[in-house]
Formats: sequence, C-alpha cells, structure tokens
Amino acid sequence: MSSIIPTPCLHLTHFKSHTTSFTNLLNRIQVTPLGRASLQTTKTIHFHCGACGHAPHRLYLCLTCDSTFCDVHAPDHDHDIMVDVDRAELFCCSCGDHVYDQDFDSAVVVLQTAAATLGGRDSLCSPVPESVRKRRRVEYRPWSPDSQARVLLGLQLETNNNNKFPLGLRGLNNLGNTCFMNSVLQALLHTPPLRNYFLSDRHNRFVCQQKKKSNGVNNCDRKRLCLACDTDALFSAVFSGDRKPYSPAKFLYSWWQHAGNLASYEQQDAHEFFISMLDGIHEKVEKDERKPHSQDYLEPGGSSRFPLDYQLDEYRERVMWHKNPLVFRISSGDCCIAHRVFSGILRSDVMCTACGFTSTTYDPCVDISLDLVPNHDIPTKASSKNLHSCNGNAETINPGLSTLLGCLDRFTRPERLGSDQKFFCQQCQVRQESLKQMSIRKLPLVSCFHIKRFEHSPIRKMSRKIDRYMQFPFSLDMSPYLSSSILRSRFGNRIFGFDGDGNGNDPDCSNESTSEFELFAVVTHSGKLDAGHYSTYLRLSNQWYKCDDAWVTKVSENIVRAAQGYMMFYVQKMLYYKASGTS
Amino acid sequence: MSASDEKNVSDDTQLASHFFGELLDSVIMDVASECHRIARLGLDRNLDDEEEELRLSAEARARVADPSNSEANSKYVVDIFGQTHPAVAAEIFDCMNCGRSIVAGRFAPHLEKCMGKGRKARVKSTRSSTAAAAQNR
Repeated sequence: MSSIIPTPCLHLTHFKSHTTSFTNLLNRIQVTPLGRASLQTTKTIHFHCGACGHAPHRLYLCLTCDSTFCDVHAPDHDHDIMVDVDRAELFCCSCGDHVYDQDFDSAVVVLQTAAATLGGRDSLCSPVPESVRKRRRVEYRPWSPDSQARVLLGLQLETNNNNKFPLGLRGLNNLGNTCFMNSVLQALLHTPPLRNYFLSDRHNRFVCQQKKKSNGVNNCDRKRLCLACDTDALFSAVFSGDRKPYSPAKFLYSWWQHAGNLASYEQQDAHEFFISMLDGIHEKVEKDERKPHSQDYLEPGGSSRFPLDYQLDEYRERVMWHKNPLVFRISSGDCCIAHRVFSGILRSDVMCTACGFTSTTYDPCVDISLDLVPNHDIPTKASSKNLHSCNGNAETINPGLSTLLGCLDRFTRPERLGSDQKFFCQQCQVRQESLKQMSIRKLPLVSCFHIKRFEHSPIRKMSRKIDRYMQFPFSLDMSPYLSSSILRSRFGNRIFGFDGDGNGNDPDCSNESTSEFELFAVVTHSGKLDAGHYSTYLRLSNQWYKCDDAWVTKVSENIVRAAQGYMMFYVQKMLYYKASGTS
Repeated sequence: MSASDEKNVSDDTQLASHFFGELLDSVIMDVASECHRIARLGLDRNLDDEEEELRLSAEARARVADPSNSEANSKYVVDIFGQTHPAVAAEIFDCMNCGRSIVAGRFAPHLEKCMGKGRKARVKSTRSSTAAAAQNR
C-alpha cells in the first residue's frame, strides 16, 4: 500500500507556480510531541472568521492575503488556496475540497519527526538491522535435469501409480499423545520453501558432517544428534509415495534428546514444539554449509551438486503457490533454512508523550503470537467495516467477532504504558509516560500466526483455554502492519515515502507484492485444555485436506473456515530471488 | 430559585452545550479530514476483499453448524487412500534406545521410561547395582 500522489488541481498548480512555495506558512506551523501539526496561535493571535467573526471548528487561512475565514465564508473569497489552521491541511476554495501537495507534506513531516530524535534532527534514522540490507535482484536461470537425474525421474514415473493424490500426503501415526507433534510436522512438511529445501537435497542425512563425529560416552557408538537429518529422513519417508501412515519414532527420539525439558509422555503444546523444532534445525544446519562454490550445476553436462555457498538466488517469478512449484535452489540463507523461511523482524517504538522522543528497537521473530480479543475491544479504523451490510442480504457482520486482522490491528496499535511503567526519556532526562507501538520491519517468507488460546496464570495456578472463534482470511495483505505503513500513519499519512526505518525515500517504494500472503496450513485444537486433540488442515493444489494423525481425508473449504484455528501458516504469494552477500 | 438564577442556569447550560457541540464538531472534522486524506491518497485497505472473507466465513460457519451437514459430523470410515486405521497405531518397530519391539501407539510412554525422562520415570535401582556401586567406592 504505497500512496499515490494525486494530480493537483489547476488552482494549486497556479498557486505554486507564482509563489515562493510554502516557506512562510511552514514557519508558522507548530507540532505536538505526538505529531499533530497545526498553525501557531499566541496570546494575541486568535483566529476567527473575517466575515462573520465566529471561531468555529473549521477555520481556513488564506495563503495569499493572510485573512481567515470559516467554512461558510471561505468559498466566497477571491483567492483559491487556504490552509486549515487546526490540521495543517490545504484547501482549495474553488474546488471546495482538501488538496494534497508533496512539497508541503514533506516539509510538515520534517517538522513532525524532528521531535522524535535527539537534538531534533530532521530524520528518524535508526540503525538498519543487518539482515535487511538490500540485495540486488538477479535474473532467473532455469534448471533442467542432467542425464543421471533423468534416469531417476524416469524410474519414479513408472512406479508411481498414485499420481492422482498430491505428493507428500501421508498420515502420521500417533505414538501416544503425540498429535501436538504430528500436527506441526504436517504443516512443515508442506511449507513450500522448507519442503523444497529438503527435497532438493540441501541437507543430505547421509553426508551430514554433524553426525560423523561420534560421541564415545557410555560405550555406545552413539552418533551426534542432528535434528535436520531426522527432518530430512521424515521428508523422504513422507514424499516416498508410500501412503501407509508413517511413524515418526526416530524423529521423536531425536527431538527428546534435543529438548530434554519437554521430553515426557503427556500432551504438549504444538506451538512450543514448533519453536523447539526450529531451534533444533537452526543449531545444526548452519555448521554444515561450508562447501566450496566451485561447481556451477547450471552448465550443461556439469555436476549435479548444488552451489551451497550462494545465498538464496532469488528472482522475480510469479509462483502460483497452489501448483507444484519448481525445485528452488535454496541454500542456507542468512544462517539456516529455519530462519530463512520463518524469521522476520519486529520493530518496537517507545514514544515519550511529553516531548515526542522515540526509542526504537528491532527484534527477530519466527512467528507472531496474538492475543485473542473480540473486535469491539479494538479502537481502530478497521471496525468501520463492521457497519457495512452486504448487498441484498440481511447479514450483518457480528461486531463482537474476533478476526485475525483485528488481532493484528491490536498488535500494532499504539499502547499507552501505565503510569507505573514510565520510561526514561533521553531528551527530557526524566521518566515520562509513553506510548508503545509494534510494527513489522521485515516479513518472513512464511508467516506463522499463533493464537494465544491457552492462558496460564502462574499466580492463580490455573490454566484455561479460550474457545472463542476467530475468523481468518485465506488471502492476507500484511502491508498495513509494516513499519513503513505504521510510521506513515503515525505522522498523519503525509506524502512522504517512509521506509521501515523512518528514512524518507521515493514515495513509491515497491513493497506491495511481498506483503501478499496465501494460507496453506491451519493447526487446530479441539477439546479441553488438558484433554484435547490437534489436527492440521492442508491446502494442496487448491484442495483442502484434513490430517488427523493417521487419517488423511478431503474436506471442503467451509470446514476449514469454520475451524478453531490455533496456528495459521501463510506463504508469500510471490517469491523473489536475490543475489548472495554482495560486499 | 429566583427567576434570574434560573436564567443564569439555562444560559450556563446553553453555553456548555455550545462548547460541547464545538468540540464534537472539531473531533468529527478531524476524523473526516483523516479519512479524506486516506481515500484520496489510495491508502485505504481493500475493504471489499476483507468483507468477502468475512462473508465467506459467516456462510461457512452457518453451513457447518447445520445439523443436516453430514461432512461436519461424520466419523472417519476410510481415508482418501481407502485405508482404515485402528484407534491405537498398530505398526511394530524396534526402539532405537533399547532395541525392544514396540507397538507404535505405545511408543512414547515406552520411550519416556526407556530414556529415563519425564516425571514418572525413575531409574530403577536393583540390589545388584547398588551393591556394585558400594563396592566401587
């Protein structure tokens, strides 16, 4: 969602052509700490209408002759361009409408943002996080199989009789209260970039360096633990074409060795398992990828080894997520595949309510955990949609309904921290009340949303589950939650191309296409807190399937929409390839 | 109250109403101004798509809640591959920790004890092992 710059009306164009722009006006603008711009008033200057003497809620100052008028008398004035004194918005009398100008807006933004930094510098510069450095895009280079690969493919086609079923659809046996693990595994098995990584042999369990060193403790020749190898084995088994349910026993064994504190036979939290598993893959994979990049497998007749040292070669391609995608050449990315796929960056701003100084921090995250509240608790622009009624139908949207977008609105709203949580303002040099606001600096390839349905109260030693339904879309646009959008709206949506770090740039920075996501997996929980069951809905080739431990069945879209979502997985609609670490 | 007092009260009330009206108008104008800017600069969220998703969700819930909907309430008969599965997974394989043959559906509780993890698992001390430990000290 980048702003369009509207074509100025003739009157505005004319005005700009023969005046020294807005300099005089800008000198008279004052800004509150939290960014509201208006015209200065002093003890001696009170604006009132030159025609009727009143001082109503809407007053305009003529930029040509400096007289002021109320909205009733403004249209009668000879000059065209005025400014709303309370809101610093331009008004054209002839058009009878607010008009917008980039130069004016940019200048106002500079004034507004000056308060946010020490010394009043006119920029919100914060250090750009490492992994957000822009990498240049490269052209897509197609890959085709060499003779060896062709033979293997040929064999596969002959023996694979069940082409009518999607690849990789296979039930997982419940090993004893392990549905929490099965449900997350099913989602990960069908996470496109992760699936492609393992299926294109990026972590080959037979040559993994991690495991070669054996641990001589206990006289057992126990191999070193590598959860990524067990994941590789899992992918091979599930995508083998065998449709009998698979028992992920070895995986469970490895995971329990990795996550000692979670190793017990009792129902556990799927989200906890998800985090733990990503952590397990992260630790191990990064040490693997140290191969030289001497071989370029793109050359005809070249070796089929992958150049592991390249970063994710990204190119601009329209990938329709529901078709079987091409084999992407994905290497370890920033540190490992788990982070390359799931890791995003959150930005947190804490603003002093007294002077406007803003302290910004960046934190990586692999998912977003959202509180579940009804929409009417959220004071937001989004709630206006609840008042629309659908054409022809008497259906009105229930204002108490919880929605994913509503939860995201809540997550990114400015929150006033209590008076017991005053933060030390560097500018004021005392503790002040403050506003805190979260936003997303960088979106991951795959966004996982975790809905906080399980409340644990350590004080009351009580836990409970929130069963409330939450609507979630199948297509999701994350642009309103980006740091660039949040910053822009914090400063009145002026025409000023905020990037996610608060630096100005071209107003049409093209972030749009990377903020559209499609839902591909939903982990649901049914039943009570301690006696419940997890299952996963998967979207393959635009058909939904339910994976309930060993049982894989087809379901209609309605079942999924009506389900009680606990974790939702969305993948970017369009994937880009970028060149590797340019120094 | 005297007549003049009453008049003062009503003047005060009128004045208060007037100020309140001005404040309210001002706030409304703030919102209108913001919305106008958002609309003119093309920053509004795609409400059509959002509403469509909400509508589909409401319809879906209504259909699923309908008691005559067989899909929502059915128990599994066969999976998409035509297979059936027992309540407890029957596959048998060897435990990678101790080597014993274990039924899949009971693997996790077995492994917990086998690995010595979890609350319920305790390392069994037999007379022979404690005696051996005592000897080695």
